[in-house]
Amino acid sequence: MELVVTGNSVRQLRTERGLSQGELAAALGVSRQTVNSIETGRYTPSLPLSIALARYFGTAVEEVFHVEER
Amino acid sequence: MSRNARSALVCWATPAAAALLGAGYFAAYTVSGHPGAGLVALGFMLAVGAAFALSARYSETMRGLLNRRDERIIGIDLRATAAAGLLLIMAVLIGSMVEMARGNSGAPYTWLAAVAGVGYIVAVIVERARR
Repeated sequence: MELVVTGNSVRQLRTERGLSQGELAAALGVSRQTVNSIETGRYTPSLPLSIALARYFGTAVEEVFHVEER
Repeated sequence: MSRNARSALVCWATPAAAALLGAGYFAAYTVSGHPGAGLVALGFMLAVGAAFALSARYSETMRGLLNRRDERIIGIDLRATAAAGLLLIMAVLIGSMVEMARGNSGAPYTWLAAVAGVGYIVAVIVERARR
């Protein structure tokens, strides 16, 4: 079974909470560029960072990252 | 050691390494009887280290490269290091061929290529054992 990340809801979750990319980056201990790269789908974060993102937004990893089985 | 102290230490590792290399160049030039050239090399390496440290104030990428906290930038650094290593190995291999074409043994390029090959195999074995 191969799972492919097809997108994510990071931007939506962030803007719903009125956060800037810089504020989210500071909370996660990464750069603003990294948050931007994740939001645009150019970078798929590691499992620890994905879980940190999900926990920060109080949701599950699958709710943040959308995967498709191929 | 606190997390902040460790982070500060990591931030200064690259500029400190540049300064140490500069001291090494200075020592090497001084031993060969050219302390003036050694001072120039030391000054150049100190300037490189200072440029790294100062640019981290303005560039997120440089900050990430120095403080090693951002996994994406650490990944970029790893790939860039691998690319630079491959380029260097290519240059060494071409250098050894040029030396052989000139009728020489290919040294020291052949030795450098051997170091690169053995280093790669050892790294694969170590990484394989770790994960």
